[in-house]
Amino acid sequence: MIDVSGLRKVYGDRPAVDGITFSVGRGEIVGFLGPNGAGKTTTMRILTGFVAPTAGTARVAGFDVQENPIEVKRRIGYLPEHPPLYREMIVRPFLRFAATIRRVPRKDIASRVDRAIERCGLQQVAGRVIGNLSKGYQQRVGLAQAILHEPDVLILDEPTVGLDPSQIREIRQLIKSFAGAHTVILSTHILAEVTMTCNRVLIINEGRIAADETLEALEARGGRTRRIVLRLARPGGGIEDQMRGIPGVLDVRREDGQEGVFQVETEGTPEVSERIAERAVGQGWGLLEMRAITLSLEDIFIRIIQGEAA
Amino acid sequence: MRNILAIAWREIRTYFTSPLAYVIIGIFLALSGYIFWAHLVRFSELCLRFGSNPYFLNQLNVNDMVIRPLFGSLGIIFLFMIPAVSMRLLAEERKTGTAELLFTSPVTTAQVVLGKYLGAAFLLLAMIGVTLSYPVLIMTSNASPDMKPTLVGYLGVFLMGLSFLGVGLLISSMTENQIIAGVGAFGVSLGLWILPWIAESATVTLASLMNSVTFGLWEKLHLGLGGPTLGDLLNKMSFVDHLKDFQKGLLDTEHVVFYLSVVFLSLFLTQRVVDSQRWRG
Repeated sequence: MIDVSGLRKVYGDRPAVDGITFSVGRGEIVGFLGPNGAGKTTTMRILTGFVAPTAGTARVAGFDVQENPIEVKRRIGYLPEHPPLYREMIVRPFLRFAATIRRVPRKDIASRVDRAIERCGLQQVAGRVIGNLSKGYQQRVGLAQAILHEPDVLILDEPTVGLDPSQIREIRQLIKSFAGAHTVILSTHILAEVTMTCNRVLIINEGRIAADETLEALEARGGRTRRIVLRLARPGGGIEDQMRGIPGVLDVRREDGQEGVFQVETEGTPEVSERIAERAVGQGWGLLEMRAITLSLEDIFIRIIQGEAA
Repeated sequence: MRNILAIAWREIRTYFTSPLAYVIIGIFLALSGYIFWAHLVRFSELCLRFGSNPYFLNQLNVNDMVIRPLFGSLGIIFLFMIPAVSMRLLAEERKTGTAELLFTSPVTTAQVVLGKYLGAAFLLLAMIGVTLSYPVLIMTSNASPDMKPTLVGYLGVFLMGLSFLGVGLLISSMTENQIIAGVGAFGVSLGLWILPWIAESATVTLASLMNSVTFGLWEKLHLGLGGPTLGDLLNKMSFVDHLKDFQKGLLDTEHVVFYLSVVFLSLFLTQRVVDSQRWRG
């Protein structure tokens, strides 16, 4: 559905997006994850045709964003970071206007607007002025505007920013309900959002793709642990050196602040753990605790962003 | 076409559901109404004083003494008020982020620009439309103004307003700051208005200007150094000069073409500016 290759966007002399390549299949929900300023918004703006790329190509449903912008825009629903709402307008007329310029056939406008209002839970505020609505409702109007024309591709830039927890949940439910029928790309810097709504993650950092994996693959990274925490009752001197002598142990570090706690970096095989345990017992160090560190998604995310191997 | 009208219609809705249209039309009516009234009172005074003298009575003409000066005043009021209408057109869309809705919808930049312009032009039409009541008011009295030259005058004022609006839209496309857009539009419009003053001192001929630009080549090619002066050229570009014939009730295609060219050129440039913003981000 979406094919992006070698995308680059340079503002002045600062590259915001620096050679991004990925593709998204029909019906997938993909999360763009990355710290602020990583290039998520710019990538989305290029996909929607709001900004022109400096180099590279982006295709949506087979149409090039630069060469066939109108065809691409017909197939895209877009919710920018700040929902694009005319504050002085009333919800329903605004949605009718959005439907018209999104080229919904005249006879379908009323029914599509009604449907969008219903899906986004706007029935109670449909007659109110947008500027007077709460942030949560404004976000929903923004979302309604994006799904009006039943686009193949839905692009949502930080759809839950600034909402309260219950609103966030509702919006996430809504996004999940789009799965299958629509291809969804959503950006966020909140990890939980990705785990709850997406089935694939693209981690973007400094304008490049740092990881492109399914959620399961990303979680599996955490399971392949290479770190072991040891707590010893009698942490004498020279223990680090002795442990470094064990085959398969790469590094040993004494934790600051916690008496007798060591972090051991290993090659990750079960044999190493076994050997460490044997040595600790054999030498009479008083093994109190030994556990493998499984990385949470959060840790993996941060390590990927920092360029470490997770 | 449907897109253009949708954008124009949304624009018009916004004018009339917010205080904007009412404030602008209200102030416009108050100012032009006072001017009209003042001229009318002076005219009726003259009529009373000299009405018995057949020679003077022939000189008294409601078109010349009441309606014609009204058009000049309408032009000046436009100069001040149109920047207030035009400044928000595109600048506000950029500022509030609604530009992202317009430019990610399957509409072309030209359609957006045209839609915005038509919406604002409608407001202009409404402003002028209500002042039509002035000549109609006179018609109900004994004085019978000649309607044809009056309507020509209205056409002229409207065309000039459209030109101001075009210039304002162009400047509004260049910034997301409404104040800059407003002050810029006012400055440029005023500049175009007072061009004749500048023209007076520009007595150098265009040919000799070309001569110095081409380092004397012009003269060597025997293209002549006489002909129109720079001042003549500037005079032709003045917004107010082209209104004069309309005020007299003369419909000259030269002036119609001038104003429409200004509109076309500014809309074209606006479309280019907005398109180029995609590349700058």
